[in-house]
Amino acid sequence: MGGVAQQIEVAPVEVERPVGDEVHEPDLPWIVIVWNDPINLMSYVTWVFQKLFGYPRAKAERLMMDVHTKGRAVVSSGSMEKAEADVARLHAHGLWATMQKDT
Amino acid sequence: MAADEELPFRPDGDRFAISLPTEAREAMRQLAGQYRTLLREQDPTSDPGVARLFPPARDDDPLANLEFENATHAPLVAERLKNVSIVERTADDESITQDDLLAWMAVANDLRLVLGTRLEVTEESTARDFAADPERRETFPMYQFLSALVGTIVEALPEPVG
Repeated sequence: MGGVAQQIEVAPVEVERPVGDEVHEPDLPWIVIVWNDPINLMSYVTWVFQKLFGYPRAKAERLMMDVHTKGRAVVSSGSMEKAEADVARLHAHGLWATMQKDT
Repeated sequence: MAADEELPFRPDGDRFAISLPTEAREAMRQLAGQYRTLLREQDPTSDPGVARLFPPARDDDPLANLEFENATHAPLVAERLKNVSIVERTADDESITQDDLLAWMAVANDLRLVLGTRLEVTEESTARDFAADPERRETFPMYQFLSALVGTIVEALPEPVG
């Protein structure tokens, strides 16, 4: 691993991390990003976020609107294994999801 | 607004009632069969619509992305084929389980991704955009039909537990 190019500006809304904490490289969590597409219905995307992550409707709608208006949103974070599993489930539901190391 | 009885999918106890016209059921069955052929005969490198169903997980790391694909591609194809079989099996049913309805939603949405990618739809696309091209002119109504199916299924499903 390493040498990961950070080409993506991460949407800030849903990333939860302590402010001012020194984060060491091995502990960096992975983030899962959903990208906007012109096909998936807004109601469907909201439903998928509720279903897969157990988010309340308001949070799922906020994330969906972030995807829709900003082009992307961070929808989950955690270990590499969790991020991989989340991306796989999002792909199974037809959403355009990628994962990367948080910085 | 349509009366409740006219909704194509509606909760009925722990099941869901389907009231779709015969032509819509036949269209869904045929589309599902075509989708199976597509999944079996094409892959993300040979068909842009199929590529949309299997997006890269790691656009920053080709090797890691390949590992992800190796681990997830076959199970995801199997899951999608299973959904196709459920739709074909239940296409004429008056009443289906929630799991069956989720398979209908998955197949309809997968097909929207394939057709929408081929059509290069935007959020503003209308039938007029495809009027000049005979093939696209015929595809767009199918895309709209599938959009309506997905939308009404989302409405019929209970709110996922948060």
